[in-house]
Amino acid sequence: MTESLVALRDVSKSVRLPDDSMLQILRGVDLEVAAGDHVSIVGRSGSGKTTLLNILGLLDAPTEGEVLVGGESTARLGAGALDRLRGRQVGFVFQQFNLLAGRSALDNVIVPLSYATGAYFWQRKQLATEMLERVGLGHRLTSTPDQLSGGEQQRVAIARALVRKPRLILADEPTGALDLDTGATIMSLLDEVAAESGAALVTITHDLHVAARARRHYRLDAGVLQVADLDRAFAASTLAGGEGLA
Amino acid sequence: MSERRGFSAAPLVGALSDAWNEIRVHRLRVLLSLIGIGVAVAALTAVVAIGEYQKQLTAEQSDRYGGRVATLTMNVGSSDGSPIDWAKLDAHVERVSERYSFSRTSRLVDGTVNSPVQMPEGVTPVLTRLYDADYAVIHRMTVIEGRTLQASDAELLAPPVVITEYMWELLGSVPLSARPTLTMTGDLAGTYPIVGVLPKEGVWDTNVRVDMLYDSYLARAGALPNEASVWREFWVPPEIVNDLAPVLAMDLRAGLDPSLELSLSRSDWASQPGYADSALVFQLVSGAIAGLVLLLGALSLVNVQLVAMRQRIREIGVRRSFGATSGRVFTSVLLENLVATTVAGVVGIMLVVLIMRSEWVVDAMFQGLQDTPPFPFGAALAGLIASVVVGALAGVIPALVALRVKVIDAIRF
Ligand SMILES: Nc1ncnc2c1ncn2[C@@H]1O[C@H](COP(=O)(O)OP(=O)(O)O)[C@@H](O)[C@H]1O
Ligand SMILES: [Mg+2]
Repeated sequence: MTESLVALRDVSKSVRLPDDSMLQILRGVDLEVAAGDHVSIVGRSGSGKTTLLNILGLLDAPTEGEVLVGGESTARLGAGALDRLRGRQVGFVFQQFNLLAGRSALDNVIVPLSYATGAYFWQRKQLATEMLERVGLGHRLTSTPDQLSGGEQQRVAIARALVRKPRLILADEPTGALDLDTGATIMSLLDEVAAESGAALVTITHDLHVAARARRHYRLDAGVLQVADLDRAFAASTLAGGEGLA
Repeated sequence: MSERRGFSAAPLVGALSDAWNEIRVHRLRVLLSLIGIGVAVAALTAVVAIGEYQKQLTAEQSDRYGGRVATLTMNVGSSDGSPIDWAKLDAHVERVSERYSFSRTSRLVDGTVNSPVQMPEGVTPVLTRLYDADYAVIHRMTVIEGRTLQASDAELLAPPVVITEYMWELLGSVPLSARPTLTMTGDLAGTYPIVGVLPKEGVWDTNVRVDMLYDSYLARAGALPNEASVWREFWVPPEIVNDLAPVLAMDLRAGLDPSLELSLSRSDWASQPGYADSALVFQLVSGAIAGLVLLLGALSLVNVQLVAMRQRIREIGVRRSFGATSGRVFTSVLLENLVATTVAGVVGIMLVVLIMRSEWVVDAMFQGLQDTPPFPFGAALAGLIASVVVGALAGVIPALVALRVKVIDAIRF
């Protein structure tokens, strides 16, 4: 394993619920993601996957434990510094695509670059165009999300996540809203472009086939992260005659 | 490819282009919320401009009546009602004036002398105004035809006259190039070349009056009628008028026939406190109305933006997850309103400028205005400032809402 990109050290997260009780979402999570790594996390709904991903992506802060980026703790960074660090280092792919409505594919892919400086900012249009061409949408630059299919929207989202060359891609159930075939195509694309740019990829999924693409596999259960044995999971799912881990 | 640290124009350019894109994508919403602002800014600009034109008009009219800044008017009456020897008084005033070297001074007889003039319907007594050539300068007199009276006119055998536009119309509006004349009877019998026509002060102006040099009248008639009263005007630099007036009054009174009462006072508009007030009241009242419209426009803008903000929370969450700082989001939303209201304001201002630049509109609104001033820059500036301020105020509220967006809640599904 090469240098550590982002690491969670004994991270716990709890939130206060409206009735004033505390809900513990994550418990003592340790995770290390190296540059170029490919990690999958499976777990049932409500097990804390999105919360874990948000902490990895510096969108959320742990209640206990630390998040290290490039070996340095982020605990003392201010809000603006965290935002800028996230903009440089992290690209998100969401289940619901989360494209900006009414904006063209090109405008959507430009978004991360508009928060950059230097060449990324000044050449944003050209870079976004190239990235859309890379995901096979060079002919749909001006299309708005409502003119695109689910698969095409997720391609735009992938282009957006990768256009600023982040070192970490966080994908939260990226195929969850797509049919099986489209989902498989999208996952191949995501793997490919992430590998091309040398970015680490952390994928959260229900789908064992999607999870199987990763090099390392984890499973989140009631807030506890464990290394997963995919073969056993496959066997279990075959026995249960169903898809996924539920 | 590198991302430099330190200063960069990118955030500002980026925030501006974000704002512009937002306006472009939601143009209908923006347009609707901005109509009120545009109209209000236009109204505000128009009010200031109308105020300026009104001021100019009032100043022109006041100059015509009271003289330019600063005009001192001397008035003499006799306490026992006996007739005044105007020639003797004149000589006295001339003697005193020599010590002061006034640049312009004029005698004036107005409202007390009538002359029998041959009009189309017969001989009619026509109000006759007498003055010296400087009077035309002191009162910024303008003509629509020909010229005003000048000092050398007094030497001509046939005394030139200037008449009012309405009188000229009664006489058939003969162009002055055709050398029209007036005919008078009685003591003033003879012909008088018409050398100038004074403009109407409005369509309602039906003044019939003849202006003649004081000396021309004396040469023809020999003396002023008993009922005539002669005033004297001195045009004085405004900086010294307050110091000079009491000294001059004292000098003029010294050696004067004890039965005569002499008064000397400023007659120009600047000396009249009511003048500035009335213009100010007009501007304040109409400005307040325009301000109210602007406020309503701003409120509707805030309202529309706040409603829109609900739909934008997710969008803001997405932007934040791709590296937008909360400051950047705040700036974008603020700029968006600022840019939008400024554009609306500029459109409103341009509309008013276009309308007010048309001669036809200005003539119809300000009858009698002679020197149409250029569109007052201050009015355009006031409109622009108003639109920027409204944009900033109306933008801060939605921008604060945007600032408070919690990213993880905004993108949670
Ligand atoms: N801010 C929050 N307030 C209250 N409950 C939360 C909050 N964030 C997450 N949760 C709860 O924590 C649990 C884990 O959420 P999440 O990380 O979204 O799980 P997953 O993505 O695995 O479905 C869920 O029960 C969710 O309702
Ligand atoms: Mg989730």
